[in-house]
Amino acid sequence: MTMRRGVGLAAFDNHQRTAQQYSDLGSTILQTHISELTDQLLTFQAALKKFAQSHADEIRSDPVFRSEFVKMCSAIGVDPLASSSANKKGSFWAELLGSDVNDFFFELAVRIIEICRRARDVNGGLMLVEDVKGRINSVPGRPPVSQEDIVRAVNTLAPLGHGFGIVRLANKDFIRSVPQELSRDQAVAIEATQALGYISVPILRDNLAWETARCIAVLDDLVASGLVWVDEQARPKEYWTPSWIRQ
Amino acid sequence: MSTLPSLSTSSRNTSFPFPSIYSFPPFFTRQPNSQTWTSQLSLWNSLILAYCRYNRIWRIDLNTAIEWDLFNNRDINRSLKLETCKEVLDSMVMKGDAEWVSGSGSHVSKNTSAIIYWRRPEEWANIIADWIDSTGQKNTILTLYEIAEGDLSLSQDFRGIDPTILRKALDVLIRRGQAQIMKSADGEEAGVKFFGSQ
Repeated sequence: MTMRRGVGLAAFDNHQRTAQQYSDLGSTILQTHISELTDQLLTFQAALKKFAQSHADEIRSDPVFRSEFVKMCSAIGVDPLASSSANKKGSFWAELLGSDVNDFFFELAVRIIEICRRARDVNGGLMLVEDVKGRINSVPGRPPVSQEDIVRAVNTLAPLGHGFGIVRLANKDFIRSVPQELSRDQAVAIEATQALGYISVPILRDNLAWETARCIAVLDDLVASGLVWVDEQARPKEYWTPSWIRQ
Repeated sequence: MSTLPSLSTSSRNTSFPFPSIYSFPPFFTRQPNSQTWTSQLSLWNSLILAYCRYNRIWRIDLNTAIEWDLFNNRDINRSLKLETCKEVLDSMVMKGDAEWVSGSGSHVSKNTSAIIYWRRPEEWANIIADWIDSTGQKNTILTLYEIAEGDLSLSQDFRGIDPTILRKALDVLIRRGQAQIMKSADGEEAGVKFFGSQ
């Protein structure tokens, strides 16, 4: 293809023709790429399906393997946990990867709901993922679950409106199993409990530079929500996080 | 007649293994939040039953028991208040895990002494009936003392059982037709005759 720069209208025509030729070539290249990619993707899908089927047991029983598998799926833009009614692509993958992955997380979610429900009176609906994991894994005869598994399972519950969600406080994951979300002050105060297991008016005042009234308000709030236990034999009064009760 | 065993004569070599809630300072404060209090009551209930079972304590007299390590954790310097302890026992009585009895002593103070059912009377009834069967004591007459303190009950769980509790267990057996009170010629209670379990 010549790239001579002409002058006048002829030059304009030439430019247009060149541009068109580039465009055509571009489309051709693109088309070729698309069909190549589609072929590759189809091959890959088949391979992934075979992989999922032959490793179903490992997916179910090994938390590390399971985690890597889910990461791999995410890397290629596939959510193995997508609800089957959501979109066609989602249900295809749920089917492709087998009911095993879905079942595993569904069953886990059910167990988590039950554990949180039973502990609600003690912790006001806020529970360390680590504690939930401990309770699940203390039941013999079942393969162990990881913190990641639990977080994933809880996240599948979130859109269903159960009032479940993961809250990250002081670098730890908590499961919230009540619809009420923590206010900013409540969250900060609970984070503060993670240092010593408790907070008090002076602790909040000195560390967060809050006025006394604000400290008292948030502490009363936390008590009313059942998120802390009160120790009246401490001077000054202490407000303890139930997450400090060792399992 | 068996008396309330003091802690120093507990039959165990090691002291009671307290659960982790026992080391949680607020556990000794009556919680203001009603749901938290509900869970706290339940935890105290379980703890008291486990402690009494372990130490073979049949009754709790509030005024003396309040000094026990059960209600005082010296490691964290926390103690349960008497009023709270009473609230806990009231709740246990409501659940059927304990029963208020008139205390020993010259003045009868209301509700300061409770028998603790770390086994319910029905359970004791079953255990005693099984024991009668397995020791071939069917159709014999035994006094309450012999049941609780006799040689044959040495290794039994009901060894040294509080007489009030034993009575209740026997009442269950009598209602079931598995036992009968025998009276001596002058109408005095002589003992219990067992017919063995069906």
